[in-house]
Amino acid sequence: MRFKTDLKNIRTFSKLTAALNSLEKIAWVRLDDDTVRFTVIPDTGSQVWASLSVDLIFDNYHLQSAEQNNTINLELPLGPLQRALKSAANSNQANLRLTKRDGVPMLSMTIHTMTKDGAQDGRGPAGGGGAFGGGAGGGRNNNNFGEPDDPFGDASDLFQQESLELTMKREREKIITQDIPVRVLHPDTVETIMQPKVREPDVHIQLPPLLQLKAISDRFTKLALTTAGAGRGAAQNPKLELSANMHGSLRLRLVTETLDITSVWQGLENPELDPAQLSTPLEEHPSAKFKQAGPDKWATVRVDGKDWSRVLSVGRLEGRVIACFADDHALILYVYVANVDDANAEDVVTYYVSSYST
Amino acid sequence: MVVLNFTLSEEGVAVLHDALACMFKFSDDVCMEARPDKLTFTTLNISKSAYVCFTFAGTRFFSRYNFEGNAQYRDRFFCQLYIKSLLSVFRPRQGSGDPARDKDATIERCDVAIDDGPGKKSRLVARIARRNGITASHSLPFETKPPTHAKFDKNEAKNHWTISSRTLRQLMDHFGPGIELLDINTDDEARVVNFTCFTEKAQKRGANSNEAVLKKPLHTNIAVEMDEFDDVDVQDKLHIIISVKDFRGILQHAQITSGELATNYSNPGRPMKLSYSADGVLCEFILMTVGEKDAMTQRHKNPQLNAAKSAAKQPGLDSVSHRASSVVNSNQQQQQQQQQQQRTQDPRNTQRQPTQQKKDTPAARLRQPQFEIRPQPPPPPATARTDSSQLFVAQGDDDEQWEPVNDDDDDEGQNARLEWNATDEPNPSGIRISSYLNKPTAPQSEVPERLLSGLEPTQRLEEV
Repeated sequence: MRFKTDLKNIRTFSKLTAALNSLEKIAWVRLDDDTVRFTVIPDTGSQVWASLSVDLIFDNYHLQSAEQNNTINLELPLGPLQRALKSAANSNQANLRLTKRDGVPMLSMTIHTMTKDGAQDGRGPAGGGGAFGGGAGGGRNNNNFGEPDDPFGDASDLFQQESLELTMKREREKIITQDIPVRVLHPDTVETIMQPKVREPDVHIQLPPLLQLKAISDRFTKLALTTAGAGRGAAQNPKLELSANMHGSLRLRLVTETLDITSVWQGLENPELDPAQLSTPLEEHPSAKFKQAGPDKWATVRVDGKDWSRVLSVGRLEGRVIACFADDHALILYVYVANVDDANAEDVVTYYVSSYST
Repeated sequence: MVVLNFTLSEEGVAVLHDALACMFKFSDDVCMEARPDKLTFTTLNISKSAYVCFTFAGTRFFSRYNFEGNAQYRDRFFCQLYIKSLLSVFRPRQGSGDPARDKDATIERCDVAIDDGPGKKSRLVARIARRNGITASHSLPFETKPPTHAKFDKNEAKNHWTISSRTLRQLMDHFGPGIELLDINTDDEARVVNFTCFTEKAQKRGANSNEAVLKKPLHTNIAVEMDEFDDVDVQDKLHIIISVKDFRGILQHAQITSGELATNYSNPGRPMKLSYSADGVLCEFILMTVGEKDAMTQRHKNPQLNAAKSAAKQPGLDSVSHRASSVVNSNQQQQQQQQQQQRTQDPRNTQRQPTQQKKDTPAARLRQPQFEIRPQPPPPPATARTDSSQLFVAQGDDDEQWEPVNDDDDDEGQNARLEWNATDEPNPSGIRISSYLNKPTAPQSEVPERLLSGLEPTQRLEEV
């Protein structure tokens, strides 16, 4: 069993790890020739299936396994992975390989990186001020006055640039090795874990910016926590009511004994469905019926405020998020991760949001 | 009669405060030793495995320094003080929470005198004049007690290197949480110096169940090329193991001075010295390294034992005079405090000031202060502050904003949750939304006022 790859888009990888880590500490990772899949299934709360094309986060990818279809299944703690990726964040180069230390399997991340010296920023020798010619680009660097790479180069600046390079010369690349403990899973143990099957949704809608949605959702959750009387179970895990229609509206609502607040977003997009991917004709699809019924026909689910907050932390991935509502039944979020290298790649993180009956 | 008096500038107070804060990570009390030309603060940790010594040059560091001496203390004067009370006296600024007022409250000058002699109360008197016109006088009692100095034989310590303390500090940022030991070693050809961080803690539990394997902390190794060091001479394949906590504590202080940090060491189980100097201040640390035998016992020790106890297993430093047994704290308190410090020394927490405040609070809870200590500044009105930040978060690439709400408080309620494979039988929950749907919305006057102030309805969503 071999696995070795260079890392790329470390920022994206790191953000995905952080988003998953907010739901569960340990992930199941499935690697094969084309895709890398991260799955977290918390005991309580929403589960996530992230399926990424290998070339989104990996480069020079080598995988060799005796298992069927050349797959490797690992169990991986997300905290240490996130920590290791943090080390790699500003690195020159980083790679990841499956290895053993003292007989224990490890994912070993090797990172080539520099340290910043004092007040200099961390762009390394290439980022030095030498590239800026005197007097070029007036407004472009207006926050750089007084720094060594001030574009308005005069004699004293030149002297500073020189001393900068002298200190850089001494800065050597450091090689950091971060060993993340892993468990190799036998195919039999993961065979039974299946992605949930849900009926066709009644409403699908593109969510507003998640930062906004999260800020307001968190606000509602905290309001519910502060206004509720002590010692009532329901108040400890406030539920938010989330509704959407096929006419571009999303509604977030909190109802407690003392208050009833609602935020409504309008003008959102209800993306067109691809008829080729549907088992039923488009006009028989539940969403078509909801559309016909007009803007007062809402599909509603209730979510746990705290769990929802953890789900929305996926916003850091900055992807396009489509929410699929099955009225009073289920909520699924599809987060499409932008892949600069391959526009056609299907990099999607699927959240099966745990929902509650009304 | 006055034995010693000296004056500190504003900056001098800050430097002294930093030094005391660093020593507080090792021990609760400090020995102050005055000589005609210098003032020395020393402390030894409770397991006698780490010794800290700060020397302030009389004329270079102080604006005025005068050692009088008397019949009893002709050449030197010494006393022992609580670091915590010194920290609260030599605060660079009074934290009132209001930056405009804080600026006025900076120190103009600080006069310190030691009054001692037959028939007199032994007191350290500090008079601090602030720019807002307030002068505060503090009088601290002390215990007269000869200091303990750790011995270090420089001739024995053949291995040495020097490196920028900032570089070293940044390397420490790559080490994750949950580690205890730092192994400084060289490879066969001595091309690089490796800094390896690891723990032996979870090993035993790991043997019991597979799950625990995944709970092991990151094992981190950082290879630094030889020519990045100055004045380097290290024996091949030598492994020197010290406590990460001690090393972090030292670097946290060393990076403030941003000087070159020098080390000297010999073999496992023998002391290692780390030193650096800033303007008129010499900072020296002598740490006991883990002997090869100790490394073995640590491998088999009870995983429940915390760092304090493992440090206690290390051989203590040789000391010139034995410290009296009147160590103030019980072992347990020390442990709690060390745990606390470990937490606060988390590398993410690089800002010094919050660390300090955090540490002050639990310590105050642990022990009734013997000295008259000024009350801690009242915490800023938390509700008002957090409320306004909840809804309208600052833009930017601040990862904090993605953190889940109230993550710590995570107990499950009685509400029924729809499982993905569950039947669609509806479970009754505590409150039914439907029962509210037909009710008129509650009049706004019923909403508590603090909520209104927290929500700023004038702000537009676009500004979020």
